[in-house]
Amino acid sequence: MWATRPRCTLPSSPNPSAPLCVFQYRELMALDVGDTAQVYAAFLVYLDLLEERRWQEVTSRGSAELQLVYLEGRESESQPRQLIIPLPGQRSLSHQGVRSLLSQPGLDGVPSPSLLLAAVAPDSTLAYYRFSRGFVVPEPPDSIQDLESGRERRKRRRL
Amino acid sequence: MEMDREVKTQTEGESVEKDPELDTRTEEVKRKREMEPVRVCVSGSALLLWRSADLQLVRERMGIVGTLVGSLARQPRQNCRLGRPLQLLLEEARLLKDTGRAVLVKGAESECDDDRVNVEVEENYAKHLQHSYEEQGRLALEEKKRVLERVMTERLGDQPIRERLLSLKSSFSFPRSAMMVQLCTARARLSYAPDERDWLATDWPLPRDNKQEVRYRVYQDLRQQGYYITSAGKFGGDYLIYPGDPLRFHAHFIAVCVPIKSQSPISDFLCLARLGANVKKTILLCSPSETEGEGVIYTSVQWSGMV
Repeated sequence: MWATRPRCTLPSSPNPSAPLCVFQYRELMALDVGDTAQVYAAFLVYLDLLEERRWQEVTSRGSAELQLVYLEGRESESQPRQLIIPLPGQRSLSHQGVRSLLSQPGLDGVPSPSLLLAAVAPDSTLAYYRFSRGFVVPEPPDSIQDLESGRERRKRRRL
Repeated sequence: MEMDREVKTQTEGESVEKDPELDTRTEEVKRKREMEPVRVCVSGSALLLWRSADLQLVRERMGIVGTLVGSLARQPRQNCRLGRPLQLLLEEARLLKDTGRAVLVKGAESECDDDRVNVEVEENYAKHLQHSYEEQGRLALEEKKRVLERVMTERLGDQPIRERLLSLKSSFSFPRSAMMVQLCTARARLSYAPDERDWLATDWPLPRDNKQEVRYRVYQDLRQQGYYITSAGKFGGDYLIYPGDPLRFHAHFIAVCVPIKSQSPISDFLCLARLGANVKKTILLCSPSETEGEGVIYTSVQWSGMV
């Protein structure tokens, strides 16, 4: 049902009686965890993942222990399921808090090695970043050949 | 490494003590010297290593990198290539001290706090320069006389040259700008004899606080895992983590040491993650665990790239 609706712009303050997109929002509220701001953040992330990025099988779950609503979904059919934690941008978080989020079990009952934290700014801008356990080596820098060919191309263009 | 390219010159004239760095003939002497603790000079709150053998030892045996902060005697006015001393991080010096591989000694500068002593040193130096100038002038005059005499004997008594030779003493001038000045790049004042070590020993320069403890525990753990660590002031973190010697590898991680329970705004994580993405390094949140025996907890933060 949601895939056929256009992306809706919502008022900046959480308003349970908003005319559009109420059904899913009420479902999230019904989980009865987390404060209004966090549930609203979860709702925005849910819409973004489903309608903007076309993620598959996006489901919402509540954690009474952490008092928040979180989402699970997969980017495409070939990708594994991921945990997405929506949080309002003004919130504070400790390293211990991040670790306890990481220890949340997924649908298969096993905690995943990484999660996506979705920070929701007051103007509804979303930023996603990944937290993983342990050391994750970054991608290597671009090869020198690519750099050089780029430089040559730029030089030619300038002339 | 920079220290290999520095030229070792003679120490100041008055010292007759043989420099132990020159005695590398036997393996046993070398091994014995490696087991001796290195001297870390405390200069204000900076912890410095002066001897190139010490720098090499801590880098090869302990994986301690430090930062070169001295200027080179022959290339003073530039910032690209620096020489000794090697400034150590507080954590590096503490690790050396705790493992018994180093002792803290008072830096030579701390002996010269008295202005009167400084003035005396300056006067002595000026006198020494003047003496050297007169001596060099005298030697230059003799050399010139010898040259003229030799020319005279070759040309069998040329009259203008004879006249020049006779008036040499009065007409000769040795300009000050032609004087040679010796710049010493090693000093004999700071003795390295073991019996002087205890007399020069000093305390840790700064009071210890919680932040330092957190940093030190993280440093210790990372060093134990075999990573090389340098300071990450340029990147807004605490340490840069390399998988091997920094001369051979790029850094993989920017370590940010935080107490495990301290709260930070989510925007701080965002800043760090974006910074790491820009410089192709992963941000590593490091917190010593408060439970016994658990060591340090590491979490990698990466910008997800979902725009």
